[in-house]
Amino acid sequence: MTTTPPTTAATAGAPLLRARGVVKRFGKFVALHGIDLDIMPRTVHSVIGPNGAGKTTLFHTLTGTLSTSEGSIVFDDHDVTPLADHQRVQRGIARSFQVTSLFANLSVRENLRLAAQGVHRSGAFNGWHRPEGVRAHAGTVDQTLQRMGLEKQADITAGLLSHSQQRRLEVGMALAARPKAIFLDEPTSGMGIDDLDAMKALIRGLRDDHTVVLIEHNMGIVMDISDTITVMQQGRVLVEGKPDDIRRDERVRTAYLGNMITGGRA
Amino acid sequence: MTRLGSHVQLLLAVATVLILPLVMHSGSLASEVLIYALAVLGCNLLLGYTGLLSFGQGIFFGLGSYALGIALTRFDLPVLATLVLAVVVGAVAAMFVGWFAIRQRGTYFVMLTLAFSQMFYFLAYSLSDITGGDNGLLDIPRPALGLTGRPLLELSSPWQFYGFVAVCFVLVFWALLRLTNSVFGRTLLAIRDNEARAAAVGYDVKLFKLAAFAISGGVTALAGAFLALMTGIAPLSSIEYHTSEMILVMTVIGGTGNLFASVLGAAFYVLFADWLSTLWPRWLMLLGFLLIAVSLFMHRGIWGLGETIWLRLRGRPPIDPDDGSVATLGPVAPAAATGTTANTATATTRSEKRP
Repeated sequence: MTTTPPTTAATAGAPLLRARGVVKRFGKFVALHGIDLDIMPRTVHSVIGPNGAGKTTLFHTLTGTLSTSEGSIVFDDHDVTPLADHQRVQRGIARSFQVTSLFANLSVRENLRLAAQGVHRSGAFNGWHRPEGVRAHAGTVDQTLQRMGLEKQADITAGLLSHSQQRRLEVGMALAARPKAIFLDEPTSGMGIDDLDAMKALIRGLRDDHTVVLIEHNMGIVMDISDTITVMQQGRVLVEGKPDDIRRDERVRTAYLGNMITGGRA
Repeated sequence: MTRLGSHVQLLLAVATVLILPLVMHSGSLASEVLIYALAVLGCNLLLGYTGLLSFGQGIFFGLGSYALGIALTRFDLPVLATLVLAVVVGAVAAMFVGWFAIRQRGTYFVMLTLAFSQMFYFLAYSLSDITGGDNGLLDIPRPALGLTGRPLLELSSPWQFYGFVAVCFVLVFWALLRLTNSVFGRTLLAIRDNEARAAAVGYDVKLFKLAAFAISGGVTALAGAFLALMTGIAPLSSIEYHTSEMILVMTVIGGTGNLFASVLGAAFYVLFADWLSTLWPRWLMLLGFLLIAVSLFMHRGIWGLGETIWLRLRGRPPIDPDDGSVATLGPVAPAAATGTTANTATATTRSEKRP
């Protein structure tokens, strides 16, 4: 996108998102044991770890899909801990889902329009006018269509798209909100080998305008495009660092990642 | 829905209003068709556009009847004011019921609306000083429409009354058409399609559902008020669970996701009931069979059946019965109708899994 979303956390070096002691319990089961996380603006920050490490739960608590049991989340100088997901969208947080979650019966264009409209909460209660003119958010929608390579599919029902196209729309939905931070939960899951490079380039490009938080199993992608990597294990942060540090880290190597870290796919 | 689509719907609604007097002998029966059509429109807004199966529509219908009855028998208000009052009462009651019910989804949402339905019934039953209890409110007058006390338009004959109901019906139908095609209405469709995603892109899903409830309650109460005005009574049965059920059945038989389908559903039910009840006292059994047939084979109701026949006649492939009701809603019906079916199956299963 050409326009840059405004960043109020202007001072370089201050994190856009600061999570402290985030705990998430489901009954007696503790999914997150006090996570501390700093996400720096204009970076790609990846969260990796084996299945069940709590990556997606962490994502859910950061984006507001789930509430936190304890701890605080400050985003862009605002405490967003008590806010629901739809309220955090207004603050500039947008996300995609690991399992594709679209408006399957609506057109691709309508999906993106709804995502673009969601940030403008007052306009959404207009019960008299059609989503036309300024209400169509055509600029944002067209830009997103182009960026995701879905221009030809604009008028197709989202449920009829191919898997790879649906995955791209899934990311596009987060992008259409023009967020400050974009949370991508395994954007490449189930994608064919041909589409991986395009998605990788796309995510890397997002860093120019957004802050990207990424859960990804494909180590090739993670190592190539991340500025920072947080490794999770059993609901805790094991290590955090630059890709090279993570690759070399003995705990990560021996503990559980094994040869996966060298580039094999999980 | 394309712009043409909603124009066609409005045209069909106006045509129905004009044709009814030509083909029917009883102005009361014709009025009844439009009155129930209003109630079904309210139900369709919840079921077809928001995905909420409410067993509480009878509450709002009954409250509309009572509100109008009490206002006319005790306070001698002008007719238009009583109708507005009924709408407000219905909308407020719907917000009350909705405020609790939308906290739950699926089965528990349905059970909550059912529980409120029972509660309001017994409330009406026990507050006999206000509602007339078992007897209902009797002798509700039908004063002429007037302006500042001067009567302008008599409503005493059935066809005069029909004219008045018809004008109100067309206005409400038009307003609901605009609503369902508006930014708000499209958001309701999105919520119906995928609630979690709607919340994730920034919509306060509960607030939208509450607003849909309020509008639905207001429209349904207007229907109840018209029926009380026509029959001169506000019986206890109008707030009974059976009324909720009847409105739901009309909605499903007509077809959801299209406003004119609601008019078809109401007309079919009212006329079918009127005709069959003179032939056979157990006619409700036949209705049962029809409902089974609709549930098994024609999810898109009478409207869907008509559409399929229309498309067949014109040599176009019919819309997939399970997916079509929603496909016709979006602005992309042709693509959905002619597109590949491989992904349709997965898309349908996915949306069905959601409560």
